[in-house]
Amino acid sequence: MSSHDSHDTHKAHGHDQQNHGPHHVTSSATFLKILIVLLILTAITVITSRFDFGSANLLIAMLIAAVKATLVISIFMHLRWDTPINKIAFLCSFLFLSLLFLFTLADQATRSMDGANERTRAPVDKEWQHPSTLEKPQ
Amino acid sequence: MSHDHGIVVPAPGAGFLPHTVAHHFDSPTQEFQSAKLGFWLFLATEILLFGGLFAAYFFFHQVYPETFRLGGQQLSWKLGALNTTVLLISSWTMAMGVRSAQTSQKRKLLIYCGLTLLGAAIFMVVKIIEYKAKFDHGFLPVFGGTDYDQATHQLSWFKDYHNVMVGVQNPSLFFSIYFTMTAIHGVHVLVGAGLIIWIMVGAAKGRFHANYFLPVDLVGLYWHLVDLIWIFLFPLLYLVP
Amino acid sequence: MTTNAPAMGVATGSHDTVKKNYLEISKGFWSWAGTLDHKRIGIMYLIGVSLALLAGGVFAMLVRLHLWKSTGVLFDNATYNQIFTLHGVFMVFIFIIPAIPGSLGNMVLPLMLGAKDVALPRLNLLSFYLWLSGTCLALYAIVAGGFDTGWTFYAPYSIYTNQAVVSVGLGIFLLGFSSIFTGLNFIVTTHKLRAPGLTWFRMPLFVWAIYATAILQVLATPVLGITVLLVAFERLYHIGIFDPRLGGDPVLFEHFFWFYSHPAVYIMVLPAFGIISDLISVHSRKPLFGYKLIAFSSIAIAMISFLVWGHHMFTSGQSSYAMFAFSFLTFFVGIPTAIKEFSWVATVWKGSIALNSPMLYTLSFLIIFAIGGLTGVILGALNVDIHLHDTYFVVAHFHYVMMGSIALAFFAGVHHWWPKMFGVMYSEFYAKIACALIFVGFNATFIPQFIMGSRGMPRRYATYVPEFEGFHQASTIGALVIGTGVALMVGNLVLSIFTGKKAMQNEWGGVTLEWLSPTPPPLENFYEQPIVTTEVYDYTTLDLRTTQTPCS
Ligand SMILES: [Cu+2]
Repeated sequence: MSSHDSHDTHKAHGHDQQNHGPHHVTSSATFLKILIVLLILTAITVITSRFDFGSANLLIAMLIAAVKATLVISIFMHLRWDTPINKIAFLCSFLFLSLLFLFTLADQATRSMDGANERTRAPVDKEWQHPSTLEKPQ
Repeated sequence: MSHDHGIVVPAPGAGFLPHTVAHHFDSPTQEFQSAKLGFWLFLATEILLFGGLFAAYFFFHQVYPETFRLGGQQLSWKLGALNTTVLLISSWTMAMGVRSAQTSQKRKLLIYCGLTLLGAAIFMVVKIIEYKAKFDHGFLPVFGGTDYDQATHQLSWFKDYHNVMVGVQNPSLFFSIYFTMTAIHGVHVLVGAGLIIWIMVGAAKGRFHANYFLPVDLVGLYWHLVDLIWIFLFPLLYLVP
Repeated sequence: MTTNAPAMGVATGSHDTVKKNYLEISKGFWSWAGTLDHKRIGIMYLIGVSLALLAGGVFAMLVRLHLWKSTGVLFDNATYNQIFTLHGVFMVFIFIIPAIPGSLGNMVLPLMLGAKDVALPRLNLLSFYLWLSGTCLALYAIVAGGFDTGWTFYAPYSIYTNQAVVSVGLGIFLLGFSSIFTGLNFIVTTHKLRAPGLTWFRMPLFVWAIYATAILQVLATPVLGITVLLVAFERLYHIGIFDPRLGGDPVLFEHFFWFYSHPAVYIMVLPAFGIISDLISVHSRKPLFGYKLIAFSSIAIAMISFLVWGHHMFTSGQSSYAMFAFSFLTFFVGIPTAIKEFSWVATVWKGSIALNSPMLYTLSFLIIFAIGGLTGVILGALNVDIHLHDTYFVVAHFHYVMMGSIALAFFAGVHHWWPKMFGVMYSEFYAKIACALIFVGFNATFIPQFIMGSRGMPRRYATYVPEFEGFHQASTIGALVIGTGVALMVGNLVLSIFTGKKAMQNEWGGVTLEWLSPTPPPLENFYEQPIVTTEVYDYTTLDLRTTQTPCS
């Protein structure tokens, strides 16, 4: 089915695409700038963790991590310049992951509100104890 | 079925090899984009695979915040930060490596891949040092024995020799999550290192150049994913909020 | 659909190697075991999943025979637990999930798209071998002491039980990645290898269904992978995440498990929908009523299926608020599903119906799926489910969907594409008898189970109160009838390879691209790249001569 003349046209076409088509070559300067920003953000993560913002600490840490992740994904992984379908394919995973987080954590957070946890929790005959509180064998 | 009528992508010059497009593709672009989409989808599955672990982390962080705070303090944030820096830099060298392949710079490609590999090695060595320290504190499963005693409800692996995790509920859980997450991540680092070696072998032969750099691109994406996951692991485990 | 391709089988001027069909082009063990051809991989899957179906069927028969008397007939209780677990694991993970995508999807999808192969043939072969390795691990687990957790592997029992859960867990991890790679491959193939002119809304609905399935395979299965891995770690290292003795939470296991396993129901059933959509059009000789609605409803089902997993956990101790949300969201699944059912019925209406064996299976599907789907809505209601949870009502409901709908659609598809795959026709007479036996036997098996379940007969019990004996015996007799029907069907199909008469080039008069390639197809599927110029299911373009020309 693939006759030889059709190959020649494909070859010329494909060549053209390879040279100025979908492949984005990022400049070294951009990569270096992104690396420096990433390292600075890592330092900021460490510094903010030294202060106590209460429950906001988790949020701040995750926001900074999200910014770093965005930089890695869009620049280092070239997703910014990639095709729409590749963007959808990858970013979908975060969407569906958020569903797993949402329902699982919402269940945990609301369990004690209705007493369901106490009502239905399987009885544990003996709770876990720290090793130091037990007499050592021998 | 390698057919003799596959389309050939020529080498850009001396020292490089041409690439033959698989028989069922009509053009090199089609081949490139198919592999690329397939690989992005594979990376999506990796995100969801790790996602389960992150969900477990957030779940138990919600239940036992004190355990996680105290547990996080037992880890060395300095070593964690060092590893974060190493991995970020290796991510940069990998990006530069892909760039070198795109611009047909064989020597640079080999150097950047070598540097990335060095980053992977440093990361793993630091990891081993960390694991060793946890083992000495009596926190490490596997080597410390993995039995569970029905009578005393004791885990043989969780010893806590220095009694630092006293006064919190179920401290073994934090270390379980720490080891599970970092071990699975570590396996990915090792796989990534193997793939980079494979790329270096091909690069030395001149297989990758401006007209064909698909495998370098894909391995690069994989390595960035390893970095990506660590970006979240570092603050969650070492700087527990 | 018309194309610029010459009528099949009459291509001229090609080399002999191109003209040889995929079955004849090379011989020997390695030409199959190492093949990258999607059609041969499809055949290998077909053989593999059929053997898994037979194994799962044997386990099912053992369960049914054991339950002939209220005291149990064949096994002690522990062995009974292992037997029903084997039935579940083989049927769900080794048969149903890979069955339609692996065999028929591999075989037909690239043909329908006018492609030479799937986009990533090596990955395709890898997924077959992952399936094989996973199956071998499950078989090994039987030898290594068996497993008795049920196919759901619920913690904490799966952590405490003294059986080969780790091997079977790792087996399921491999089976999961087999499924992921199959789905990934089909997504890429559908995006990148469509023939010129084959726009998204000219694709056959089987392709749409497999595409929607693939989304689920890629996005849901990794969570199952990490879940079984964690169970394995739990057993090997006592990490305690799912172990309440160590502060872990078994309900978290259920969240993880059902995050995959509810979408998995659609991984199983969406390909069946695809087969039914295509077959109903071909055998009613009518374009599908509501083509776009069916296409979009597949995607809608795939998306909604990620929002409802908690309806399996109404008695597990999750929060009442979560239960309310999950129950509410569950009802939305009914909408796209009903759209499909009504569209199929509307397609049959006033069609020129050919009552051949694929169509008989299809019509059986329509009846059984209506019952299976509607009892699902009943179970989705929170208050009703509390009563029916873990009873035979649930068992009957999901068998109406799994066995009665999906397996029947699989049989329909196999009968429909059999002449395409092998170039031979089975005996229609015996095929119809087999279909009738399966349909009657199926209802005889599971209608009593609905009644028992609504009266409180719990599932998975090795013994039961004597008042249910009559129902159980009716159910067992029904199962024997199904077994006879399946044996007849398999015998009829296998025999046709050796003694069947030659099939026509286009046995059923289909107009999707797979019928425009020669029968059986050559290695690269088409002699020339097909170009699509007409809408899908346009039967005015059918070249009637091709339905009367025997295949080469
Ligand atoms: Cu469900």
